[in-house]
Amino acid sequence: MAEIKLENLSYFHGKDTPYEIKALDTINLTIPSGMITGLIGHTGSGKSTLVQMLNGILRPHEGRVLLDGQDIWEKQKNIRSVRFRVGLVMQYPEYQLFEETVYKDIAFGPKNMGLGEEEIRVRVEESVRFAGLSPELLQKSPFDLSGGEKRRAAIAGIIAMRPDVLVLDEPAAGLDPRGREAIFSNLVKYHEESGNTVVIVSHSMEDMARYCDNLIVMNEGKIVMQGDRDYVFSRSNQLTEVGLDIPQVTKLMLILKEQGIDVDGGIYTVDQALERILSIYRKSL
Amino acid sequence: MKSIAFGQFYPANSPLHKLDPRIKVILTVLYIVCSFLCKNLLSFALLALSAILLILCGRVPIRIVLRGLRPVLIILAFTALLNIFWTKGEQLLFAWKFIEIYAEGLYAAVFMMVRIATLIIGTGMLLTYTTTPIALTDALEDLLSPLKKLKVPVHEFAMMMTIALRFIPLLSEETEKIMTAQKARGADFSSGGLIQRAKALIPILIPLFVSAFNRAGDLATAMECRCYHGGEGRTRMHVRHVRLVDFIPLLLVLLLGASLIFLNVLGIGFSMK
Ligand SMILES: Nc1ncnc2c1ncn2[C@@H]1O[C@H](COP(=O)(O)OP(=O)(O)O)[C@@H](O)[C@H]1O
Ligand SMILES: [Mg+2]
Repeated sequence: MAEIKLENLSYFHGKDTPYEIKALDTINLTIPSGMITGLIGHTGSGKSTLVQMLNGILRPHEGRVLLDGQDIWEKQKNIRSVRFRVGLVMQYPEYQLFEETVYKDIAFGPKNMGLGEEEIRVRVEESVRFAGLSPELLQKSPFDLSGGEKRRAAIAGIIAMRPDVLVLDEPAAGLDPRGREAIFSNLVKYHEESGNTVVIVSHSMEDMARYCDNLIVMNEGKIVMQGDRDYVFSRSNQLTEVGLDIPQVTKLMLILKEQGIDVDGGIYTVDQALERILSIYRKSL
Repeated sequence: MKSIAFGQFYPANSPLHKLDPRIKVILTVLYIVCSFLCKNLLSFALLALSAILLILCGRVPIRIVLRGLRPVLIILAFTALLNIFWTKGEQLLFAWKFIEIYAEGLYAAVFMMVRIATLIIGTGMLLTYTTTPIALTDALEDLLSPLKKLKVPVHEFAMMMTIALRFIPLLSEETEKIMTAQKARGADFSSGGLIQRAKALIPILIPLFVSAFNRAGDLATAMECRCYHGGEGRTRMHVRHVRLVDFIPLLLVLLLGASLIFLNVLGIGFSMK
């Protein structure tokens, strides 16, 4: 189990240039281990910058990143091992594919770890299953895959490193509803089977409400709220202030409740809502 | 590799930034001529003063202007030394064995340094710091448009320049993203021998080329869809009109040139031959 803790973290893009931007502003945060954590925020709120801190792609200008209590920048030479322990799937990761075959591409990470052929084979097959990619595609060129398949191949490329923490930056951006659903349900399955910590970045409240246990809300480089989803979604005013909104079904439920209908809060999916409404309807018959 | 900080353009709201880029190109040429008109102490002093005025007008921090001078520091030092030791004159200041230093040499050294420094500062302030590369290309297209009569494809060259300039920040941004993505998979770009380092570039170059070609293809299709067919009969979206105030700097530079010639004729202070 790996626990990530951020202490007074600040980061500036374009430091010491006329374009300097404070992308992260004294962030204090603990990412609970073994859970799915959702990082939500408006575009430009600093989500991508924050996740690039977690695996040492960017170095904080102030503050520390602790992985199991150890400052990851203390021994700079070991930064690669941090990247293997905290796997980061970047936004639009399909653009990172480069090998002749999907197999070789997924094997790139494990190979950089210095693993043997056999171990690599096992990991590639396992990660392909987790990412929901059909094994026939392994011998194809990654450039011949569809958009959704490329995305899953790229995710498999990170899972193959068996990171303790899997971080995904907008893993479903630009996909159709079925593609989104496929990515998320595979991630949930991966989480259940491996028990690893998963961090998902998104600005879709619907997706976050559905799949994440714990939510972190960001705005303008700061953490606005952190807590489980009931806690976060019960503060809809605060969410609206930072340009976010509670899921539509949850909103509908709140309106019904105001009308005196006995639905409780904490409903985040259409299925849950349907079930609840039907049961009330049946009772009223 | 900061995409927005591409080139040396320094964003600010200054009279020089607002000046029509075509005028700025002409001003630059005139300014270069001016710097070669200088012959004596007073005219060089005036030239140096004009460079300082330019910096003030452009509102670019002095730190950044000086940083632009850094690459030519060696040339500056070298010309200074050459002039000090090799210029022969009448006023001997210092002699030791075969080394003779004349007042003329010292003056010449200072003059050359002032000339080179003002040339760099002048072109920098008029063009690189205050004009975006795209505006500069447009200005050159306009100024060179008479060459179209001679069947020189001025518009096409300008369009290629514009597209290339537009692609540079895109590509550098993309390179950065791809590098980050591969680093996240443990790629190592900074260790190993030459061959190993070259090999480490493959995971960057392949996706970069693929996306650059895709992008170029998309752009060509998009231009095709909007019936782009080259320069003939094409008008600009933002037509620049030279305002009357834009002529003031032209007048000022002409005035500068005239005063320089006048000061040369007066011949006060030390004169270069
Ligand atoms: N490479 C970069 N160079 C300069 N500024 C950047 C860069 N990346 C992000 N920014 C700026 O930092 C801020 C936070 O961006 P980002 O972390 O990408 O937000 P998000 O992922 O939440 O949309 C934004 O204002 C963005 O414009
Ligand atoms: Mg982002």
